[in-house]
Amino acid sequence: MATTKKYWKSFDELAETPVSQKLAQNEFAEEIPVEDFLGDDNALSNSNTSRRDFLKYLGFSTAAATLAACESPVVESIPYVVQPDKVVPGVPNYYASTYYDGHDFASVLVKTREGRPIKMEPNDMAAFNGGTNARVQASVLSLYDSARLREPMKGETEASWDDVMSSVKNELNQADATGKEIVLLTSSIISPSTKAIIADLSANYTNFKHYTYDPVSYSAKLDFWVDMTGERALPTYKVENADLIVGVGADFLSGYTGQDMAKAYADRRTPGENMNRHIQIETRLSLTGSNADKRIKVKASQQGAVLLHLYNTIARSVGGNALADASLTPEVKTSVEGVAKELIGKKGKSLVLAGNNNYSHEALAAGINRMLSNFGSTVDTATPVYLRSGNDKEVAQLLSDMKAGKVGGLITWGVNPAYSLNGFAESLDKVSTTVALTDRIDETASKFGYKLPINHALESWGDYMPASNVYTLSQPTIRPLFNSMHAQEVLMGLMGDSRDYLSYIKDTFATTVQAAAPMMSWNKVLHDGQVEVPNMYTAAETEAMIDWSAVARDVNKDVSSAGTMEIFFYTKEGMGNGNQANNPWLQELPDPISRVSWDNYATVSQADAMAMDLETDTNSAGAYNGKTITLKVGDKTLENVPVFVQPGQAQGTIGLAVGYGRTMAGKAGNEVGVNAYKLMGADHYSNSVEVSNISGDHVHGFACIQLAHTMMGRKIVNETNLETFMGSNPQVWNELPIFETFEGPMGPDKVNLWEDHDHETGHMWNMSMDLNKCIGCGACVVACHLENNVPVVGKEEVRKHRDMHWLRIDRYYSSDMTEEVAEDEGIGAIDKFAEMEKASDSPSVVFQPVMCQHCNHAPCETVCPVGATVHSKEGLNHMAYNRCIGTRYCANNCPYKVRRFNWFNYQGNEDFADFNPSMDEYGKMVLNPDVTVRARGVMEKCSLCIQRIQYNKLEAKKAGKPIDDGQFTTACAQACGTGAITFGDVNDTKSAVYAAKKDPRAYHLLEEIGTQPSVFYQTKVRNTKEA
Amino acid sequence: MFRGLLCVKFANRSTESYHLRSLMKNLYRFHIRFIPLILGILAMGVTAKAQDIEGDVAAGEKLFKTYCASCHKLDKDAIGPALGDVTERRSTEWLLSWIINNVEFRATGDADAIAVYEEWAPQAMPAFEYLKEEEIMNILAYTANPPAAPAPAGGESMAETQVVEAEPSPVPMIVLGIFLILLIAVLARVRNTLRIVKGEDPTTVLQDMNAYRRFLAKNTGFMTVFTIVVAVAFLNVSYWYLMGVGVEQEYQPEQPIAFSHELHAGQNQIDCNYCHSSARHSKHSGIPAANVCMNCHMYVDGSEITDAAGNPKYGGDRSPEIQKIYDAIGWDPDKLAYIEDYEQKPIKWVRIHNLPDLAYFNHAQHVTAGQIECQTCHGPIQEMEEVYQYSSLTMGWCINCHRETEVKVNTNGYYEPQHDKLVEKYHGEDITVEKIGGLECGKCHY
Repeated sequence: MATTKKYWKSFDELAETPVSQKLAQNEFAEEIPVEDFLGDDNALSNSNTSRRDFLKYLGFSTAAATLAACESPVVESIPYVVQPDKVVPGVPNYYASTYYDGHDFASVLVKTREGRPIKMEPNDMAAFNGGTNARVQASVLSLYDSARLREPMKGETEASWDDVMSSVKNELNQADATGKEIVLLTSSIISPSTKAIIADLSANYTNFKHYTYDPVSYSAKLDFWVDMTGERALPTYKVENADLIVGVGADFLSGYTGQDMAKAYADRRTPGENMNRHIQIETRLSLTGSNADKRIKVKASQQGAVLLHLYNTIARSVGGNALADASLTPEVKTSVEGVAKELIGKKGKSLVLAGNNNYSHEALAAGINRMLSNFGSTVDTATPVYLRSGNDKEVAQLLSDMKAGKVGGLITWGVNPAYSLNGFAESLDKVSTTVALTDRIDETASKFGYKLPINHALESWGDYMPASNVYTLSQPTIRPLFNSMHAQEVLMGLMGDSRDYLSYIKDTFATTVQAAAPMMSWNKVLHDGQVEVPNMYTAAETEAMIDWSAVARDVNKDVSSAGTMEIFFYTKEGMGNGNQANNPWLQELPDPISRVSWDNYATVSQADAMAMDLETDTNSAGAYNGKTITLKVGDKTLENVPVFVQPGQAQGTIGLAVGYGRTMAGKAGNEVGVNAYKLMGADHYSNSVEVSNISGDHVHGFACIQLAHTMMGRKIVNETNLETFMGSNPQVWNELPIFETFEGPMGPDKVNLWEDHDHETGHMWNMSMDLNKCIGCGACVVACHLENNVPVVGKEEVRKHRDMHWLRIDRYYSSDMTEEVAEDEGIGAIDKFAEMEKASDSPSVVFQPVMCQHCNHAPCETVCPVGATVHSKEGLNHMAYNRCIGTRYCANNCPYKVRRFNWFNYQGNEDFADFNPSMDEYGKMVLNPDVTVRARGVMEKCSLCIQRIQYNKLEAKKAGKPIDDGQFTTACAQACGTGAITFGDVNDTKSAVYAAKKDPRAYHLLEEIGTQPSVFYQTKVRNTKEA
Repeated sequence: MFRGLLCVKFANRSTESYHLRSLMKNLYRFHIRFIPLILGILAMGVTAKAQDIEGDVAAGEKLFKTYCASCHKLDKDAIGPALGDVTERRSTEWLLSWIINNVEFRATGDADAIAVYEEWAPQAMPAFEYLKEEEIMNILAYTANPPAAPAPAGGESMAETQVVEAEPSPVPMIVLGIFLILLIAVLARVRNTLRIVKGEDPTTVLQDMNAYRRFLAKNTGFMTVFTIVVAVAFLNVSYWYLMGVGVEQEYQPEQPIAFSHELHAGQNQIDCNYCHSSARHSKHSGIPAANVCMNCHMYVDGSEITDAAGNPKYGGDRSPEIQKIYDAIGWDPDKLAYIEDYEQKPIKWVRIHNLPDLAYFNHAQHVTAGQIECQTCHGPIQEMEEVYQYSSLTMGWCINCHRETEVKVNTNGYYEPQHDKLVEKYHGEDITVEKIGGLECGKCHY
């Protein structure tokens, strides 16, 4: 009897969604680009070429190609004429230096090869900000940006430095003589020498002003600290001393005050008695919030009120003066009171951090910390941090002065106010002399009369004091690529001072650092990069002048005046404040939360999206398309803002990242996303935004790397809570699969089809990923790109899921539907799985870095028809590019989906010329000479940095001693600022990775399939009681 | 056949024909054999002339080159004065005192000594107290009687005839070919004569060939075998031809400077690592920078180089090849100083050993860790006037060596933690590179 059963291939098909119907009609998801292969259709049919001719051409070209292949090119080899001391071709040199661009500060080691900086590594001798984030890692490429300004320009023509300097000098002197202001507008300056030069400059003109402008400003916080301590600087936050951290809108793991808190935070995340607890109260789902043990969603306008209520609750408990009652709903109040109770329990060992650029928020957070006796333990006002010093009030004054025609000469340096500051471009008309000290003709420089190229950080000398007891130096690692100068030398030139900046720094060093610490030698500081110096700050005896009742009034007014929709501005992990927008690595780095690259967008909650019909659509190739909206804040509007649905976003709010929408950044950065600075005022949120003009169709394409947002009940990330972890047997929270076999129950590492490799003799390289320490920041992803010459493929290719990242950080949301819920409520399998696919409205979030797992029984190896991917004695899965013929069987058979295929000749195809570094004349210089640049049609994947393994094995052999644990590590592990990645030889029983492998938290990804990976993960433990 | 095709390839990549260069090479190799002979003749001539000052001229020459040549020349002034006629200018006693320790000698107040010192100041001559008096006499004997050029006419012509013989000449083959054709003609004639004697019609060559064709057409078995043999031979040749694509063994390009490894590494015995210092530390052996050349060539300008006949090769002038180094780096050999603000011109050497980019090779791994001699891969480099690629540099060649070469597990401390396990695992067999994973793809391809 013939069956009448209907078989369906997917739930979609069963549900007959439009996508599946479309798929059923077309065999291929997308039209095959025949025209691309064969050229114009019309021309093809009208061609005189017959089939015979075609065969003749084919035969001829084959023969010609064969003959041509016989002739090898003559290769020239050009040695140095005079080889510099210490440079051995093929051997890298490292120089300690400092990266500071007004936003990110890091003490780094610069790796140079043959005099070319190719990578920045963290400086592990540095106690303050010794780690590198994604932006610092990527900044090497900004050095080789061909969009950089190459010659000084007067108007639209190139001119010599002498010409430009003399005419700028004259014009400024004239302006000064007429009594107009000469203004220098910079980002935050932390260099003692630069400050001294600016002071000299101030004395040189009768009416000189220096204004500091940070696009993502913390000015209001600084205003508070002036009132509190008398010093316009933020305190050092000692996260390492905090048992409980409460962040209220503070994204303190990403940017924030510039102080790197991630390392100290992660050091306390090891599960056990000493593990810290982290509660985050916030509006949008931030990187910091994703890592929290407990997360509470509130609207942006309520953040102040939450702090006020915390303040009041704690004040009542510890005997302080409570302020006016916070205007919050009872539910929010209850949960805030719970947080307050926990804080009181951790008196002196807790830390409350406020986000935003808001005086009242900062005041309340500081007030709470003071009541809890956290000053001195977790809040250190004795060593202020100077990384943020922008002053919004002064900048506002500058704009009105410019409009009033009071400003005669304006010099900008390191800032781009025409892009990021509302009203700046319109105020320029009455300024007669405008000088931009800039790295490119950006939005600001293009409007300026003089455009003077300045050195990149890697071409510059510099001294920095990021905190009052930290002194660092930066040194040039390459001669300036273009005809650029130190900005400081330009300023000195205006005063007729012809000293070079290096000697100026040395003088300042002698008069400041050596005066305080006479034993400090210049060479030692230069070698170490960063040193601790005696604290240069002495706390003034000032009475705090805080009007607490005004603070309470202010935050309550924020709630009462709020509109129905609010907007919150933030910086992305990749883009930061947008000064490196032309850096393709940062553009391609997916946002850790949304997993969208090459874009910014308005994030809305799932409920709002449904209510306003803003949900995204998926095209047949699995790429998201979204609708666009117009946003209006006050009198400022921003059109065509794409909308992305973000679980965890507070209902009634919109999040929007700044740093995008550049128009004159360069080929890679122009016209990517929208410019959120246009809507942003001084504060990082606005309590009222109008949403209008919702597009009818899904007109905007997103390049989102991840489509599966939940784990569908599987143990991909093994997670437990601290109570279970501490109180029960590892088998309870880290259950390993057991198979029944004819020889009895066995673990998947024993059930084998194949012979085991010998992993006893020699090395066995393993890697441990601690999911408790991974905060998802993406520094490792960029570091991997640099180290391994991974191509940048651009938005269109990412939309086709052809991204080339060897290392990705998967992000999973929790779902409200679980196996248990389904069982309790009697929900059927199909409904259950459909529900499981949906992320919770208030999800907990986990990050999981996934790269090639280097399976010791690798599914890819067995299917390769040409033996291009094979196993090594050292536990690695090798990939021989020159053997690969591109069948892609291996990628199909890889259960971890970590193999990447070179669909195009990325380093030779004009379609990728705008963003792939290896397509650029200068960008090429950043390539790592020890790693092959892969050709079209081959598979590639993580090699566990085999070039580093081989190099360091050789170093050990040359020295005739065994490899020490920690002698080297992979690029990702080195870049990781939180120590989440441990790499080493498990055959060395003293190694850290051996200890990690023996840790009861260790588990393998998809262990049950028996691939026996060399990479393993450490169970995520949240510091909570609830499951 | 295969070799012939290779030759075509080489002709493609260089301006000079491969044949001509291999001829030159043979000519040169021939010269080497005659060097002892030439030296012998030289020595005989020298001993005959060395009369004024007693001493061993040959030993003196060696000592002169070791201790004096960096500052002195025989025929002209350099850092110090020309020494060709020094024994005529000064007494032997004076010279001995001066050479052994000129500071002490000047302290005695010798007017000549002080005058010489002042003339050449600020360059002061070091003391040579470690030289024996006998050795100094040898040096002086050499300066007084520098070896003159021998009469080399016979040697020169001998060399040429030798070379002609060394090259396979086509003449015997042509003669043999003509002889065979004649033989066939004669035999055909004889056969026809016999036919006529027997009373049959004589046949023409064409008729004979037709008969053969018919014979072959009938013998299908023979034809099958023949076709298979021809096809296999063709495939074999094609296979080896294709396998040779990209293999540049014996590639010997013309270099911008006619640098001789035979002279530097062979005759002068300069250690390879002196110039190619990075071979011990880096993946690159490193072509030395011009400043490394200048360590010696600041003083040695090649004017003393003689040709095979023993005549000064450049007529006593400095070598035009060494001048190229001076041009690159900006050295004024007359003033013995670097030219200020000189725009240096890097030397564009032609790379001989070209591994494809996909293969990672590290010199330090082989030289320092593996303790492999340079000659293992580069061949008798100390005998190469002009360097050529000695090894095939194919993957098979690499792999083969990795199969055979023992790892220094006993002497290198790196292997200490693994040593016992390796010995146990291989039960006393040689531990070759292969056994520690030296054949794995990822060791060279990443």
